Amino acid sequence: MGWLIELIPLPYPDAVVALGAALLGLTAGVVGCLAVLAQRSLVGDALAHAALPGIVLAFLFTGAREPETLLAGAACAGLVGAVLMVGIERGSRLPADAAIGVVLSGFFSLGIVLLTHTAHTEGAEQAGLERYLFGQAAGLLERDLRVMAILGAASLLLVAVAFRPLKAMLFDRGFAVASGLGARWLELASTALLVAAIVIGLRMVGAILMVAMLVAPCAAARQVCDRLGPLLVTAGALGAAVGVTGALLSARSDTPAGPVIVLVASAVVAVAVLAAPGRGVAWEARRRLADRRAERGRSVLLDIETAMHAGAPPTERELALMSGRPARDVRRGVGRLVRDGHALVDDGRIRLTAEGAAMAHAALESRALWSAWLDHGALLGLDGREPDPRDVRGSLGDAAADRLVHLSQGDHP
Amino acid sequence: MWDVSAGFPRAAISAIVGPNGSGKSTLLKAALGLVPVESGQVMLLGAPLREARRRVAYVPQREDVDWDFPVTVREVVEMGRYPLRGWVRRLRAEDREAVDEALERVGMAALAGRQIGRLSGGQRQRAFIGRALAQQPELLLLDEPFAGIDARTEEAILEVLSGVRDAGGSVILVHHDLTTVRRIADWALLMNVRTVAEGAPDAALTQEALDRAYGAGAGDAIVGASWAG
Repeated sequence: MGWLIELIPLPYPDAVVALGAALLGLTAGVVGCLAVLAQRSLVGDALAHAALPGIVLAFLFTGAREPETLLAGAACAGLVGAVLMVGIERGSRLPADAAIGVVLSGFFSLGIVLLTHTAHTEGAEQAGLERYLFGQAAGLLERDLRVMAILGAASLLLVAVAFRPLKAMLFDRGFAVASGLGARWLELASTALLVAAIVIGLRMVGAILMVAMLVAPCAAARQVCDRLGPLLVTAGALGAAVGVTGALLSARSDTPAGPVIVLVASAVVAVAVLAAPGRGVAWEARRRLADRRAERGRSVLLDIETAMHAGAPPTERELALMSGRPARDVRRGVGRLVRDGHALVDDGRIRLTAEGAAMAHAALESRALWSAWLDHGALLGLDGREPDPRDVRGSLGDAAADRLVHLSQGDHP
Repeated sequence: MWDVSAGFPRAAISAIVGPNGSGKSTLLKAALGLVPVESGQVMLLGAPLREARRRVAYVPQREDVDWDFPVTVREVVEMGRYPLRGWVRRLRAEDREAVDEALERVGMAALAGRQIGRLSGGQRQRAFIGRALAQQPELLLLDEPFAGIDARTEEAILEVLSGVRDAGGSVILVHHDLTTVRRIADWALLMNVRTVAEGAPDAALTQEALDRAYGAGAGDAIVGASWAG
């Protein structure tokens, strides 16, 4: 790993931390998607908490101080926790989240009790057991990086190899079981991957907050990705970026790494949930506002068209009376039409421009098409397309729209 | 559920009907090994499940699935080919052809690139059936395929299923609507925890059999009595 560290333009200790955080973020980001998409985010949380007694027990039994042994204990405890959760879920009438809650708190309490008990044992301080609660960025060794890299690479390889069946099972477990895709093995593999990611992250982020590294990258990436492949890549990249930023901040400020990394991750999720194009809260709100304005403009446009048919071009007041719309809405609608060049105000009377008249006709046609769809849509044939009420012609295609027009005219000769 | 014994004819559309909670879906799931079976024997296409699995396709109820999942319609249909190729082998040209054909048959070719969350209920059902068709099964099992679906889509799906039957395939579906069974199915199993009647819909769904399955008139006492009887 030495050459890789030298490539990073940072002082040596920072480079080690950055590399470790990147490995952790990448692996946890990708593997976390398997839990989040299966709607089992909290399983990751329980496994991380369950790792704590494993670490302490490994220390008590072997007296070892080096992280490899302690993390092996963590992995064993995590797997025991996983088996227990599945057992409780299958064998009792407890719902899944209750099983998770029981295992999480039970194992973690055991870990804390053991930790307190061990505090006076010789060598406990050097082993740095407390570090596994909240994580610590500083003090990471090159040797630790090697373990992380091997575990991470193996995890990512497994995800890549089993990508297709994993996708099928995450989407629809019943199908995966019924069609003999090896659902049991896939679930086992997913759990093992989660445990591996947790083992990678324990030293840096700690047991309590590890779940954030699994959940946050996927949650943020899901806001911008609509397909699983890109989602996994984005989550991995986000995880790595979050990890590096948080770990470096923590190493420089001498604060525990876990909370700092999680703060960064939370910030990324918040931004994604608010601002992501297409799915973000802000984006949704803007679209709704734009829709409302467009609809108001269209309604007023049709009102003007109807009024001009009946007689003289209307005034704003007449429009409001005739349509029963609040005067303020009419004023805003007219204002928009005038701005867009679809209407003119001439001595207080409103008339449509040529362009506005064409728009009105298009809107009327669209409404007629929509009624025609409701009446005759079934006759169009087997195709699964369904019209968007705002743009019937565009969403159905010209051929189908023309047939609808034809059908509706045939109905009323 | 106990004492359900039924044989379903080949090259036919068979419907499993019965009141809520009568075990219709459970029967289907038990046949596929999705729920544990205490006792009994399931033969699919004349073979035990293990051997027949590759020749059977299953369409679960739509609410069993997370529709916000990041996959496209085409990917969902493609999943029908996974069992044939295992975990790692690449999909071949014939797989792509089977997927294209399945998309075409359920009328979803134009929407193949769309994320499944942006589909209507009827379109989702079409995508699911497309996945089953891509498996090119000899036996197609569907759990409530017509629940919550408009008449237009129902007609389209029925046409697809008839096509499967006419090509020699067998279709078994769980159905809740007694008024349409005769139109949809060639054969019916009426059950309420146990088999009540089976046979051609007109012969099996007699008033007497329906009374036994659903309880004559209404009222828990009567239902209880017919259970005990």
